Amino acid sequence: MSVTHLSASPRSRAHTASGISVRGVSHTYGARTAGGMLALDGIDLEIADGEFHCLLGPSGCGKSTLLYLIGGFIPVQAGVIATSAGPVTSPGPDRSIVFQNFALFPWKTVKDNVLYGLKKAGFNAAEREQRARHYIDMVHLTGFENAYPSQLSGGMQQRAAIARTLAVDPGILLMDEPFGALDAQTRRVMQEELRAIWRDSRKTVVFVTHDVQEAVFLADRISIMSARPGRIQHVIDVDLPKDRGEEILENREFIRLSEQIWRLVREQAVAATRGAH
Amino acid sequence: MMNMAQARPIAPNSPSQKQKLPAPRRGLHLSPHMVDVAVQVAVVAALAGIWEFGARFGALNPFLLPPLSVVLGRIWEDLIAGTVPVDLGLTLYRALLGFAIGAVIGIPAGILMARSNVVRWFLDPLVSIGFPMPKIAFLPIFILWFDIYDTSKIIMVAFSCFFPIVAATYAGCSSLDKWPIWSARSFGAGERELLWEVYLPMAMPQILTGLQVALPVGMITTIVTEMLMGGRGVGGAMIMAGRFADSVGVFAGIVQIIILGFVVVKSVEMIRRRILIWHPESRR
Amino acid sequence: MSDILAGGRTGPPLAYAIVNTAVRFSPLLLLALGWEFLGLTGLVSQQMLPGLGEIADAFSSMLFGGELLYNTARSISRAAAGLGGAVVVGVLLGLLMAQFRPVRLLFNPIVQIFYPMPKSALIPVVMIWLGLGDSSKILLIFLGCLLPVVVGTYNGARGVNPFLLWSAASLGASRVDVLREVVLRAAMPDILNGCRTALAFSFILMVSSEFVIATDGVGFMISSLGDGGQYPAMFAAIFFVAGIGFAADRLYAMFARRALRWREA
Repeated sequence: MSVTHLSASPRSRAHTASGISVRGVSHTYGARTAGGMLALDGIDLEIADGEFHCLLGPSGCGKSTLLYLIGGFIPVQAGVIATSAGPVTSPGPDRSIVFQNFALFPWKTVKDNVLYGLKKAGFNAAEREQRARHYIDMVHLTGFENAYPSQLSGGMQQRAAIARTLAVDPGILLMDEPFGALDAQTRRVMQEELRAIWRDSRKTVVFVTHDVQEAVFLADRISIMSARPGRIQHVIDVDLPKDRGEEILENREFIRLSEQIWRLVREQAVAATRGAH
Repeated sequence: MMNMAQARPIAPNSPSQKQKLPAPRRGLHLSPHMVDVAVQVAVVAALAGIWEFGARFGALNPFLLPPLSVVLGRIWEDLIAGTVPVDLGLTLYRALLGFAIGAVIGIPAGILMARSNVVRWFLDPLVSIGFPMPKIAFLPIFILWFDIYDTSKIIMVAFSCFFPIVAATYAGCSSLDKWPIWSARSFGAGERELLWEVYLPMAMPQILTGLQVALPVGMITTIVTEMLMGGRGVGGAMIMAGRFADSVGVFAGIVQIIILGFVVVKSVEMIRRRILIWHPESRR
Repeated sequence: MSDILAGGRTGPPLAYAIVNTAVRFSPLLLLALGWEFLGLTGLVSQQMLPGLGEIADAFSSMLFGGELLYNTARSISRAAAGLGGAVVVGVLLGLLMAQFRPVRLLFNPIVQIFYPMPKSALIPVVMIWLGLGDSSKILLIFLGCLLPVVVGTYNGARGVNPFLLWSAASLGASRVDVLREVVLRAAMPDILNGCRTALAFSFILMVSSEFVIATDGVGFMISSLGDGGQYPAMFAAIFFVAGIGFAADRLYAMFARRALRWREA
């Protein structure tokens, strides 16, 4: 797996990587007094600077809601979320996001999508060109710069979305089940690439998934969330080598962790099914 | 689960943290919806008020915009004199009859275009040229052929309505999903059953859309024919009023037309919902 | 029929295209032949169904006499002014309604009331307001075309995938940027659809208003030729207007396809 190195990155206008502190955050959808749906309940979470953190849980556990709150897309109702830049109140380029459905601008080519964020970040024309080329190359889309998203496969669209997000060099990278819509093979390749990109760039990553293996493969730490209302039930350290490739799948520790975490997630899912009846 | 959520209300958030970016859509909450309705009713009332009092107290020229009460008074007089029902009835009769003729010819023609190569070969160029043309330009030809009475008006309306209907029916019938057709066939359905029980229901949303485009076109056309040829009907009455600088008469006509248009369009929407009760669009 | 030909494509592309077009439009030729034949049998009077040759003669003399082009230019300029204004105002209003609740609450009831009204009913109203000149027809076309554009823009802007807005915001776009660069672009397919309806309305209202109140323009020309009993010329002018309406729609469709190239997979 060849991944070009980010150290070749043209010029550093990097947002400094930062930890994330989530304290006492709760969130309710709908009317807040009665009939509302409590999605998150008293979340406390400290994510260290440069950590790869996975939020893992059954669907409907509020893990995406937590991510959107960190991103500043939905307002914090109760509690505080802060980065080194201060409390989070709105979206910003220091916390860029990749969505499950890619959210590429369909009327822009791959290159123009990548250039969009760079323009907003105030890079000059030459820098924009150079960075766009660099990141498109990094996600192996060289040759597809002028293709529209509708002309690309799902995997290619997702790589373009990742290039767009990485190009602005956010200190914090938020990922909302970014590989959920991909087929199994593409997914595996993308996971390895993401891990390599992260290793070289040392960003703080918050990665939402409901796939246990994906979480163990990618993360330094995993938060296991309970179903509605979402609470963090366990936080688990993943003690695996920094360099992770195909071979890690046969690593004893990887298998043990996967099984342990799978049991914990299953408990949550079963509890949720019971609670619903 | 929900009870638990209700039992533990969350601390209220600070009102300053209002976020304008749209969140992914959630279900309607009743109270803001009712506020919306109330505000919009108030807007309509305010507009009516501005119209009435602006015209009455000289802020608006009462010739250019006669006070609402005067206009409604005229409608009331004409209602008692019996001209309003006759004019509205005639306009509605011409529009609906022309529309019905357009539909009775247009729907089968669209189905045949989708099912038969010969019909498609013959009609496709005519429809694709006729669809975007301003059909109203042909009105003098229909007057020449059928004189200025009801026949030419109704034929003109039917001609205008035909194209959107045939185009929508053809499009609807030629882009059908194959799975329901295959499953019907596998149950042994014949061609006739397929037509009535599979093709038509599946093409129904698009056919109805075509009808919904055609009906307003038919009403626009009816009114123009009435204005051009004179005689009874709301269009004729309005143009007469206009020629005699009777602005109250013109606005009385406009108010009637607005109500007529509103009632017709809303009724058609209701009928659509009834017919398409099985369709996902009805569950919005 | 054309499908069958497409399957058995053998000749060089140009010849193929010519043959294909000829086959596709041969029904028009049949129709023309039927027209001529009906005239020859004498079942229908010459007045009611002038021969195609006569119509063509009348057309060329009108064309070279300049009156046809003059009147067409007058009509088109009025339609363009009304339609242009409607597109600018309509897109702006639709966007504002979609983005700002107060604007939406203020204009939604107005749109709801006036959208179903058959717009040709406004002809006597604009006549009362502005008389028989150009301005009344421009206003009529403006009012008639406005609501399809507003509604198209509004629906498009309301239906934008919220994740696109979030993406832009997280890449550092301001609210104004998001409106201009994301909402407007994402709503473009619906806006262009609304404008296409408006284009059709502009032709209908242009011709109708000239039938009813005018002193020049193609519609006026058609009705005065009819009143004067010059039927071949009347038929020629009608076919000409219809052809222009058709051509305008085709050109617009080509433009829209280009503008929405990104949608094609």
